[in-house]
Amino acid sequence: MKELEKIEVDTLVVGSGIAGLQAALDLADQGYSVAIVEKAPSIGGKMISLSKVFPTLDCASCITTPRMASVSHHPRIKTLTYSTVDAIKREGRTFTAAVTRKPRYIDEKECISCKRCEEVCPVYLPDEYEQGMGAKKTISIPFTNAIPQLPVMHPEHCIRCGACARACPKDCIEFLQEPAPVEIKAKAVILATGYETTPMTAKKHYGVGELPNVISPMAAERLLAPHGPYGRVLRPSDGKVPGSIAYVQCAGSRDKSIGVPYCSRVCCMYAIKQAVLLSGSLPVADITIYYMDIRAFGKGYEQFYNNARAMGINFVKAKVARVTEDAEHNPIVRIERQEGTSAPEEVKHDLVILSQGLVPGCDVSKFGLGAGLNDFGFVQLSDETVSSAVTAGAGVFAAGVVKGPRDIPDSVVDAGSAAMEAASYIRKL
Amino acid sequence: MDEKIKEEAAKDNYRQEPKVGVYVCHCGGNISDIIDVKAVAAALAKYPGVTVAREYAFMCSSNGQDLITEDIKNLGINRTVVAACSPSLHELTFRNVLQRAGVNPYLHEHINIREQASWVHKADHDGATAKAIKLAQAGVEKVKRKDPLNAIRVAAEPRVAVIGGGVAGMRAALSAAGKGLEAVIIEKAPRLGGKLLDLGKMYPSGEEGPAIAGKLEALVRAEKKITVHTGADIDFVGGFVGNFRVNFKNADGTSSQVKAGAIIMATGYQHYKPAQGEFGYGEDANVVTLPEFISLMKNSPAGRLEYSGKEIKSLALLHCVGSRQVEGVHKPQADGKINDYCSRVCCSSALYAANQVKDRYPGVRIYDVYRDIRTYGMQHETYYDKASKDGVLFLRHNETDQPVVTSDRTGHTVKVKDVLTWGEELEVKADLIVLVTGMMPADISLIKSQMKMPTGADRFLQEVHLKLRPVELANSGIFIAGTAQYPMDVPEAMAAAGTAAAKACILLAEPDIPLEPFVAVVDEHKCTGCGLCPAECSYDGALMMAVHNGKKVAVVNPALCKGCGACVAVCPVRAIDVAGWTLDQFDAMVEAIAKE
Amino acid sequence: MTSKKILIITTNHSSYPGADAVGQARMGYDANTYIIRVPDPVMFPEDFYLKAFDKGIAGIIIMSSGSDCPYEGAYERLSKRVARVYEQMKVKGIAANRLKLTTICTVCRAAFLKEISEMEKAVSAV
Repeated sequence: MKELEKIEVDTLVVGSGIAGLQAALDLADQGYSVAIVEKAPSIGGKMISLSKVFPTLDCASCITTPRMASVSHHPRIKTLTYSTVDAIKREGRTFTAAVTRKPRYIDEKECISCKRCEEVCPVYLPDEYEQGMGAKKTISIPFTNAIPQLPVMHPEHCIRCGACARACPKDCIEFLQEPAPVEIKAKAVILATGYETTPMTAKKHYGVGELPNVISPMAAERLLAPHGPYGRVLRPSDGKVPGSIAYVQCAGSRDKSIGVPYCSRVCCMYAIKQAVLLSGSLPVADITIYYMDIRAFGKGYEQFYNNARAMGINFVKAKVARVTEDAEHNPIVRIERQEGTSAPEEVKHDLVILSQGLVPGCDVSKFGLGAGLNDFGFVQLSDETVSSAVTAGAGVFAAGVVKGPRDIPDSVVDAGSAAMEAASYIRKL
Repeated sequence: MDEKIKEEAAKDNYRQEPKVGVYVCHCGGNISDIIDVKAVAAALAKYPGVTVAREYAFMCSSNGQDLITEDIKNLGINRTVVAACSPSLHELTFRNVLQRAGVNPYLHEHINIREQASWVHKADHDGATAKAIKLAQAGVEKVKRKDPLNAIRVAAEPRVAVIGGGVAGMRAALSAAGKGLEAVIIEKAPRLGGKLLDLGKMYPSGEEGPAIAGKLEALVRAEKKITVHTGADIDFVGGFVGNFRVNFKNADGTSSQVKAGAIIMATGYQHYKPAQGEFGYGEDANVVTLPEFISLMKNSPAGRLEYSGKEIKSLALLHCVGSRQVEGVHKPQADGKINDYCSRVCCSSALYAANQVKDRYPGVRIYDVYRDIRTYGMQHETYYDKASKDGVLFLRHNETDQPVVTSDRTGHTVKVKDVLTWGEELEVKADLIVLVTGMMPADISLIKSQMKMPTGADRFLQEVHLKLRPVELANSGIFIAGTAQYPMDVPEAMAAAGTAAAKACILLAEPDIPLEPFVAVVDEHKCTGCGLCPAECSYDGALMMAVHNGKKVAVVNPALCKGCGACVAVCPVRAIDVAGWTLDQFDAMVEAIAKE
Repeated sequence: MTSKKILIITTNHSSYPGADAVGQARMGYDANTYIIRVPDPVMFPEDFYLKAFDKGIAGIIIMSSGSDCPYEGAYERLSKRVARVYEQMKVKGIAANRLKLTTICTVCRAAFLKEISEMEKAVSAV
């Protein structure tokens, strides 16, 4: 192991999605020093991989990248990417976090982000940033606008051909790099560990993730992104342009049988948004949303929903009992309508998106900070009618989806108040 | 040396002949494999105004940076052009090099010959080289015309005025004061607490409204940095970022003024008041709104739900009254607009109230007439679940088939075209009709018009950008907290208020507000006072005509200017420019690029 | 290489990073393209474009931030101004397709290349 790197800051922010970035900026802009630890190789969280975002349809990347850049250039913010928080201890007024920098197998200080290593690497892997729909090299920069622009090598796939090392103009490749320990001391901790989507396998009768043309909303985001894997909307099984697309709402929420009885808040709106974008790129496609209740409750959302209906998106009040496929991998959706007729029917589509819900991205109880969790693993606040960020753990605050599903505007707003609570707490120490 | 003199001396320095240093980066082959960097440096060395042109393997490395520092020291270089990777990566690096060497950091120009040349013209080495030369020459033309820039500072009152003393206002004041910023709450009612003072048991905590407000008020009263003015009737709000004034009349008739560097608008909401006759409201005593029903429940004896002395054995909740209105179906409001927005909190509030009725008076029949149930919050779905289990009967209608309420001696009948029973017209009898009303913004027309605050079609205060700047108004230094922006519940208002406080604290973190130097600048000698430019400006008060040194000229308020340059384009004599991005720089760049 | 030059006006906020994204993806286009960046193209008066044509620029693409524009009302003003430039171009006999106002986002790589290839066609006729 390398020598222990020591960092001392006012606040440790765990997670660099939009909530973590905003909380860090709102603290640093007030004069506090911040360390952000992010497990992924780039900051930006889930938002950086989205296409356009509701209700104003602004380009997600255009909104996230300036914030990512502000964070990475901020003189008071230290960003540790591709790093894990292994433990956090509280002694008196100080938190000590044990962090590990995972090896990228390159010299981060010397790298000039030229991608030569990536160009010459002969081994392709499925690209998780493109939800497995594209390929990337075994050594590669994770995505176009990643920050930092540093490649990561995946040694388990590397064939040790040495091509990258020969191509690197700065002699940066370090095949023998080891994980590096870091110790971060901080006065306060902000948890901003975000979410994961409910697994595609969660619901047995929805194809357990094995139907090629039944895809996740994150995959749909990539299909719709201007820099997506195919550059256009194609269905995965055969590259056909889908003529009929359906959304199955509440495919991972409001369902006790999968342990997610709560509403995930964002799925109605992302489905409507994707439907609107799809009808823009595939003007002749039929787009149907099967739903129980449309929950367009935020500012400008109801109007967005109304516009989608006016555009001809087909909203069908129905429960989806089952999703199967025919011999050509066309998804068959078995529905029970809530209006009109009660007889179940089977509808064939070319592409189906399961509107997955949100579950906690990280079990923060493992840090042992005294922040309580609710039944579903989200952070419980001390008294949410008094503060939106204070947890039962002294000096421990929560920002964004770590407390429960919320959309981007709500997460951004939420992060500022977490920063404020941390600032007040530090001042009173 | 005296700071002032040193500054002047430094300025003098820049009036001297520009001495430009040009540095071309190889980027370890990333650039030099395609672009002939030696040819670029050679071409630039001969270019007018260039004192030295060099090429180097990695300009960003410490050796590369030292080349520039040495040239500044030894050759008197006072402006630099670096042709390398994208400015997003290293423009700041080189500005810092200049700063460290005592040169104004804005006298640097960054030319992108990697992302926008060598990486995209791989097959055309000559073309890429010619392009790099042209771009670098254009960069020299630009940097020769640059002036040193310094952050503009505006003195600010170290205080935030919070207008409105409801829960959002109290939270905003508490958060600001927690950070050490002085906060002044200005509330028109005699007490702190706002709308919550009238409400009964509320989700999610089950506490009554006044109890929730009381918790925050106790904290406010204990906080030395917060001053509270209740019974304060605001008659004037003026000024701009850093220097606002709020004038108000106190309950005793005296006048007061608060000077503040920032304002937080926590002016809250009002309940939607149904129109006369809307579902029988105002005409029939047994038609009440949800807030009225919640207070009524508070005063009802145990064991018997009572209204006007009569027992209520059945009630119907009608959702979306005053919300999600539809053109052609609903009558417009007084201002001619319909309320087409969702009021967000009413579904959960209504079901929470229904559950209380079922808990306290299990015999009461409840019909819930709705379009979509929007119980979106973490625990809200359990309210819906419990209501279904406890026998609340849900009837669902389409937006165009509004329920109809009729009354006679026997009580009320609600007619609903229920989609859950395949569009059958159902009639249910109820002793009491509860209209689940939404939220409208409180009336703040005076402040809004004095400060020209933007509102949306929904009449709520309009933020600059829902994601980038969600609690900021276009008026610099004014922030929004809580339901003045949009319907929200108490926990959501806490988040919004905390963030509004954060923005105020960031703005007022230092005694002076540092502003970006890239704002419009007027050359008073050239300005003819024609008055065309203020009409182009989208930012109220940023650009105005005024008499200065006995001459009518355009005057920029740098605290309000955003530097978009809309004014620049219309000036017939080119007397106005955005600092750092002047028109003559761009003319010269285009000239350099176009030249054969 | 053609000597016909295309001037591309980009914004700090979106199209300049968009042009970078094209480079990061190692996509290609012709080298007769000169990218300059501004806070917002709304600052250029009508004669800026006309003078650029006079100086010998063959085509101009204005890549604005469109609805992602951070400045209030700037895009509307810009599009009105460009409409006036077209009128003056007509008077001067400059083909309308030598000037294009478009919107490019930070990751609009394909759209960026499409605009350039259309302009290459337009200037080849100059």
